[in-house]
Amino acid sequence: MVTFLDVMEKALTGKPVLPRDYELRIYSKNLREKVKEYDIKYDGEELVPADNGLAKDVFNAAFEFFVETGAYCVDTGRVIKFSEEEVKEELRKAPKKVYFGEGNDRKALMPRKPEDKQSPWCFLGAAGGPVSSEAIFLALMEGYASIPETNSITTPALTNVNGMRIRPRSPLEVLGAIRNAVLAREGMRRVGRPGIPIMNTLSTAESAVSLAAALHPKYGLRQSDGFMIGVLDPMKVDFDRLNKACTIMSFGAPIDIDFSPMVGGYAGGPEGSAVSTVAHHFLGSLVFKAVYFSPFPLHIWHVCNTTPDLIWVNSVYTQAVSLNTNFLTIPLVYVAAGPHTDMVLYETAASVISPIVSGGHIEAVGVAKNKHEDYFTPLEPKFAAEIAYSVLGMKRTDANVIVKEILKKYSDKIKNAPLGKKFQECYDIKRVKPAKSYIKIYESVKRELSDIGIEWYK
Amino acid sequence: MSNKGAELIDKLKKAIIEIDEDEVVNLSKEIIKANINPLEAIEKGLAEGMKIVGEKFEKMEIFLTDLMMAGEAMDKALKILLPHIPKTAKLEEKKGKVVIGTVMGDIHELGKNVVATMLKVNGFDVLDLGVDVPAAKFYTEAEKFGANIIAVSALMSSTIGGQKDVIEYLKAQGVREKYIVLVGGGPTTPEWAEQIGADGYGETATDAVKVAATLLEKKKK
Repeated sequence: MVTFLDVMEKALTGKPVLPRDYELRIYSKNLREKVKEYDIKYDGEELVPADNGLAKDVFNAAFEFFVETGAYCVDTGRVIKFSEEEVKEELRKAPKKVYFGEGNDRKALMPRKPEDKQSPWCFLGAAGGPVSSEAIFLALMEGYASIPETNSITTPALTNVNGMRIRPRSPLEVLGAIRNAVLAREGMRRVGRPGIPIMNTLSTAESAVSLAAALHPKYGLRQSDGFMIGVLDPMKVDFDRLNKACTIMSFGAPIDIDFSPMVGGYAGGPEGSAVSTVAHHFLGSLVFKAVYFSPFPLHIWHVCNTTPDLIWVNSVYTQAVSLNTNFLTIPLVYVAAGPHTDMVLYETAASVISPIVSGGHIEAVGVAKNKHEDYFTPLEPKFAAEIAYSVLGMKRTDANVIVKEILKKYSDKIKNAPLGKKFQECYDIKRVKPAKSYIKIYESVKRELSDIGIEWYK
Repeated sequence: MSNKGAELIDKLKKAIIEIDEDEVVNLSKEIIKANINPLEAIEKGLAEGMKIVGEKFEKMEIFLTDLMMAGEAMDKALKILLPHIPKTAKLEEKKGKVVIGTVMGDIHELGKNVVATMLKVNGFDVLDLGVDVPAAKFYTEAEKFGANIIAVSALMSSTIGGQKDVIEYLKAQGVREKYIVLVGGGPTTPEWAEQIGADGYGETATDAVKVAATLLEKKKK
């Protein structure tokens, strides 16, 4: 078994390589060769492919690519490589069940398979989206915790502490991370679900020191929460991220990694993005000791994963992982449009259906490219969960037809997606209820989706 | 220009478009050996070829790695060609000089790399300061480089405060008006750019290039 010390030894003694050479002449080159060798091709007609052979090819390509390429440690300038046997052993020992949460909200996250009827894990919330104030943060948390399907919460990120903009690696970041933890737990307490796990802990803690500060038990974080660490593109790690892993391990809590091999970026086209996304699961498990995974491949220009090629990527990597491993993969839904638009719901539907019928869970929703302060509400994740439950057991071939129909409703608008309205503009934030106008949009979209084959589970 | 000269320059352009670094280097050496005007080789071969590479990247016919490798090939060719330009000759004036980097505390570089390369492709002289760059370094390097544009990238909502710090630092040094400050990256929005007093914002790398060119033109008038 590869221990954390083994990882450090590899990081300190691996082959020295310049960063640019790793990116262009090792990572990109190897990836391109594997895609070619396995003849993996994006098919615009089969956005949700039903071919298990394709999933197997993507998995095998990713396995060989990872063994041949390794990860890159930015701080030592060395490649962290693993043998075939080390990767295989990691695959064998991947946990089939991980418990999160407390009390009524304690539940096991388990692997799913394509076309599975088993309930998905609904990791709902803001996916680290920026909020302008503590009041908005709290109201959003109450909203997310009130969604019946919520299994865990992906919190927003505070951008200010008492009106002062947070600066990375500064005391403002430390204070922001602590406040992020306290407010998140308080929001759940207020609606009577204090046991819901937070699983993106902590959006505000970019540095290891802020994460460590917020772990003090008084601030409400627990071993039954999940802790997310971001991997640098492409397949790069640094000491600060490894410090986070070390800190979380010593705390005894589950680790998650998030990563985004962009279509159009170092990964190349959709085929490379799919293969690299699978390879990142090996990296997460071996380097970070991650037990669950939050992939979010994005489009380099549109910064969302609701374009046709990204719908395909999400389906293909999810199938490759779910059919060939026990890795607990929770694809993150990232949409271009903002709240109070029909487009945000169309996009959410398409990008939820693809991973759910492919054997994944969902983290939802990164709204309006996850960049505009307060442009997200609890209605988008609630809708995401409803659509996820409504397509359980659906055949991939049927899902493919439905997804393509949904795409017709929005794909030409992705470039200039409507921003919509802020949370406080389309919600009663005291009662945490959507405005009638937003409910009208939501109901209208649900009716439209019924017309193209969605049977709503409630 | 001789037929041979035109042929070699055309081949150089083609080699850049095909991202064949060895061929670009060999042709650059051949151009010098054949006594062909290196200025024309740069302007009609390299620059025109890179323009097409940039357009292909925008249309996603090629990807980031290709774009960056074409940029590296161009840099190698320039190292061969530039020393042979007669002192009396004048290179087509660069559009502008840009220092670019990711703010302190943020080590994400993909977006910054795309913008830096696209600026180069479109005729800007670019100094890439890398990632985790303190506000003071943006200022000192811009002064040394003789930049007229400072481009500041940030990927996280917890790190974009660093963009404001760069602007405030320039103000405190009394040089804010000397530079065009552009901001971009994941959480950056036009509203944020306006709030912190940036001159421009680019949603994409293509936007960033257009904004840089427009603002520079405006400033020159």
